[in-house]
Amino acid sequence: MITSRRAFLKTAALGGASLVVAFDGRRLLGAGKEAAGQFKPNGWVRVDADGTVTLTIGKSDMGQGVRTSLAMILADELEADWSRIKLVQASPGPDFKRLGTGGSFSLAGSWKTLRQAGAAAREMLITAAAARWKVDRAACSAAKGEVFHSASKRSLKYGALVADAAKLPIQADPPLKKASDFRLIGKPTKRIDGRDVVTGAARYGIDTKIPGMLYASIERPPWRGAKPKSLQDAKALAIRGVRLVPCASGTAVVGETTWAALKGRAALAVDWGDPPKDAFDSEAHFKRLDEASEQKGFVTRKDDAPAGTRVAARTIYASYFYPFYAHAPVETMNCVADVREDRCIIWAPTQAPNSLQEKVATFLGTTPEKVEVHVTLIGGGFGRRLAVDYALEAAEISRAVKAPVQVLWTRADDTRYGHFQAASAHRLSAGLDSTDALVAWRHTKAGSLHNLELPDPAAVRDAGFYQDLSWGVYDVPYAIPSIETAYVTVNLPVRHGPWRSVFAPSSVFAREAFIDEVAHVRGSDPLAFRLELLKGPDTVKAGSLTIDRRRLRRVLEVVREKSGWGAAVATRHGRGVACNIYDGETHIAYVVDVAVDGTGKVRVERVVAAVDCGLVVNPTGVEQQTEGGIIWGISSALMGEITFRGGTAQQATYADYGVARMRDTPAIEVHIVPSEATQPFGMGEPPVPPIAPAIVNAIFAATGKRIRRLPIRPEDLKAV
Amino acid sequence: MSEIRLTVNGAKRVVTVDDDTPLVWVLRDTLALTGTKFGCGMGVCGSCTILENGKAVRSCQIPAIEAKGRNFVTIEGLSRDASHPCQRAWIEEDVAQCGFCQPGMILTACGLLREHPDPSDQEIDAAMSDSVCRCGTYPRMRKAIRRAAAALRARKP
Repeated sequence: MITSRRAFLKTAALGGASLVVAFDGRRLLGAGKEAAGQFKPNGWVRVDADGTVTLTIGKSDMGQGVRTSLAMILADELEADWSRIKLVQASPGPDFKRLGTGGSFSLAGSWKTLRQAGAAAREMLITAAAARWKVDRAACSAAKGEVFHSASKRSLKYGALVADAAKLPIQADPPLKKASDFRLIGKPTKRIDGRDVVTGAARYGIDTKIPGMLYASIERPPWRGAKPKSLQDAKALAIRGVRLVPCASGTAVVGETTWAALKGRAALAVDWGDPPKDAFDSEAHFKRLDEASEQKGFVTRKDDAPAGTRVAARTIYASYFYPFYAHAPVETMNCVADVREDRCIIWAPTQAPNSLQEKVATFLGTTPEKVEVHVTLIGGGFGRRLAVDYALEAAEISRAVKAPVQVLWTRADDTRYGHFQAASAHRLSAGLDSTDALVAWRHTKAGSLHNLELPDPAAVRDAGFYQDLSWGVYDVPYAIPSIETAYVTVNLPVRHGPWRSVFAPSSVFAREAFIDEVAHVRGSDPLAFRLELLKGPDTVKAGSLTIDRRRLRRVLEVVREKSGWGAAVATRHGRGVACNIYDGETHIAYVVDVAVDGTGKVRVERVVAAVDCGLVVNPTGVEQQTEGGIIWGISSALMGEITFRGGTAQQATYADYGVARMRDTPAIEVHIVPSEATQPFGMGEPPVPPIAPAIVNAIFAATGKRIRRLPIRPEDLKAV
Repeated sequence: MSEIRLTVNGAKRVVTVDDDTPLVWVLRDTLALTGTKFGCGMGVCGSCTILENGKAVRSCQIPAIEAKGRNFVTIEGLSRDASHPCQRAWIEEDVAQCGFCQPGMILTACGLLREHPDPSDQEIDAAMSDSVCRCGTYPRMRKAIRRAAAALRARKP
C-alpha cells in the first residue's frame, strides 16, 4: 500500500536501502560466486583479469543519463580507466531488492553508496599490490586502472591484481576521495553508450526479439466499464495466424507478426454502444475543481502573522487551472513476457523493476524469484513507466497462448489509456497592507486524492500526505507574514499518476504567475519583488523541507544579470521570470522572452536558465536536462492537453496532442551556479515547473493579458 | 502474401510478407533491423525514417508491395563504424537523451543536408519539425546538423 508520494518514490520505487544491501553483496553472495579470474567485491563493481571493469547500473535510463553519471561516480572512486568501463543493467534479485527510478532521486540516493562501493574495490586493489611488492600500503596509490608505488617507480594494472584482491576481506568503511581529487565527477562527459544510439545498436524494450515470439495488440474499452454490445471478429480471424485472447484490459489480438496483430485489431468491428450519461467529462470536472478550491480543505501550512504585522488593506484574488496531460513518450508502452510452467521471463522498458516483478508474481500466483526481469533501455519514461500495466498484460497473454508474447501499444492506445497528469484548480489570494507590503498569502489547491494507487486510509489524515500532493503550494519560499495553504480532494475517475515533476508543475504555475500579478498590482518589477520577498532568514522550514532562500536568490540574480533583465523590448515582445525549489533540493530560475503575433500565436524566443543542483556530476547532463525540461514545459504551456468526453480521452496522436518540435525551440542558455552542497541533487524533473509560469508572465509583459489556464490558446491573445 | 525483393543497406533481400505490411515492420520483424523505430505508424513522428537514394522517407508509409525493387538505407547501414558526419556530429554535440527517436532524426538530417548542404535555420526547422523528440534534444540537434553540414562540405572538394 502506498501511503504518500514521497513514500511511493523513495520506498517503493527507489533504491536507497537496496544499495546498502548490494554493497554487502560479497557477504551475501559468498566468495564462491566470484568466478575464477574475477574480482567482485560488491554488487556494483567487477574487475576481470584482462582489466575490463564492469559496473552495475541500478537505475533505468530513459534519457536522463544515469548510465553515464552513475558510472562516473563509481569509476571515479574506483580510479578506473574510463575507456575500459562496461555497464550491465541490474535485475531484481537478492542483490537488488529496491531498484526503481523516479522522483529525480537517482543521484542523491546513490551518491554515497556508489562511492563506497568504488572506494572499497580501490582500497582492496591497492592492498593487493602493496602485499605483492611487500611495501608500505600508504606509499601506494591508484589512478586510471593501475596501482602505483612511486618510490620504486613500479605499477601494476588492476587486471593483474584481480586474483589477489579477491582473497582480501572487504573493508567496511573505505576512505572516500576528497572532492578536489575527483577526476571524472564535475567534468563534461559524453554519454557512455552514445555510439549505440547513432548506429541503431541500442536496444529498447520494443526491440526485444525472442525465438517463437508472438505479437499482441489489445482492443480496449473506450470508457471505464464499457462492454461491447457486439463484436464482429470474422475479418480479424481471417488473417493468417491471428487469434483473439480475452484479457483483463480488453481483447488481445495475437498474431505472428506485429502487422498481423495490428491489422487484426483494425479489422475487429466492436460496437460499444453509448457511454453512460455520467461518464467522465473534463469540462464538468474543471467546474467541480473550481468549486472545491473555494472550500477550506486540509491545511498544509499555516504561518500566523507575527504580532504587530499590519492588516491587509486590500486583497486580490485569482483562480488558476491546470489541465490533463499525457506522457507521450516516442516509444509506446510495450513488454515481452515468456511465461513457462515453472518461471516467467520479462523484458521491459520499466522504471520500476521490483514492483513489476512483485506484481507479475502475484498475478501469476508465484513468488518473485520465479519472475526474471530484464530492464531494457527506455524510449522515454517521464513517470509513465513507474506503472507496470503493460507487463501484466504481456504475462497474462503469454500464459494464455503458451508462448513468448510482445504486447505493443499503438500511439492511440498510449495517448488514451495511460495514466494522466491530473488536472487541478488553484485559488489564490494576496493581502497588501496600506504601504502595499505583501502581508498575507492563501493558496488552495483542488486536485485528486491519489497518484496511481489508492492511499492507505490512515495516510489521508496526515499533513505530510497532503503536502506531497501540493509541492509548490505549501513550500512557497517567500517571506510573507501570514501564509495559509490547503488541499481539497476531488474524485477523479480516470487513471492518473506520476508525470514529469508530478505535483509541482500545476502548483508552481499558479504560484509564480500569481506572485507576478501581485508585483504588477504594486507596480513593482517582478524579479526585484521576488528578491525582496526572499530576504529575511536564509533558511526556513516548510513541512519536512528546508527552504534555502540564499540559493534561490542567487539563481534569480544570475538570470537577472545574464538575461539583460530590465532592457527595453519590442512591441508585443515580453520578458518574464519564474523560479522554484524542487523538493527542497534543486534551485532553478528562468527568464523567458516571448513574442506574441497578431493572431495570438506565442513564440518563445529565448530562455536564460540558472541552476543550482548541488554538486554537479556531469555538467553535460545538467545542461541536457535543463534544455529538455524547458522544451517539455513549452509543450505543456503552449500545445497539447488531454480532454475527456463520454469517459474517453479525445486525443490520440501527436497531431491532436501536440508536443514541441524543432520550430518551437527557443535559444537556451544554461548557467550552472556553483553550489556549496557536497552532494548532487536530481535534474530530470526540476527544470519543468518554472517554465510555464515564466512564459505566462512574459506574455503579460508583452500583451497585458493574464493567462490563468493552460494550455495557452491563441484566441485569448489576439491583437485587438 | 508476396515474395518481395528489395535492397537494404546494400544487400539484396527477399521477404515473404503480406502485401500491405508497412516497410517499418518488414525491417524490424522480418529483417531484425530494429534501429528503425516505430513511434506512431501514421507518418506523424518520424521515428521510422530511412533513406532512399539519399532522400528521407517514412517506412511506416510504404507498403511492402510498393517497396519491390527499391533500395533503402537504414541507420544500421549509414556507415560501418559510426563515421558518417551526422553520426559523429550527434556524438560530438551530445544530442541524445533517451535516444529512441535519434536514428530517424539522423536520417532526416541526412536527407536535409543532401538537399541543402549549408542549411539556414528556417531550412533546418522546416525539415526537422515533422519529427518528434519528446526529450527535447532539438537545441543540440540544430548544432549537430550545422557541424555535420560543415564536415560534409569540407569532404567535398
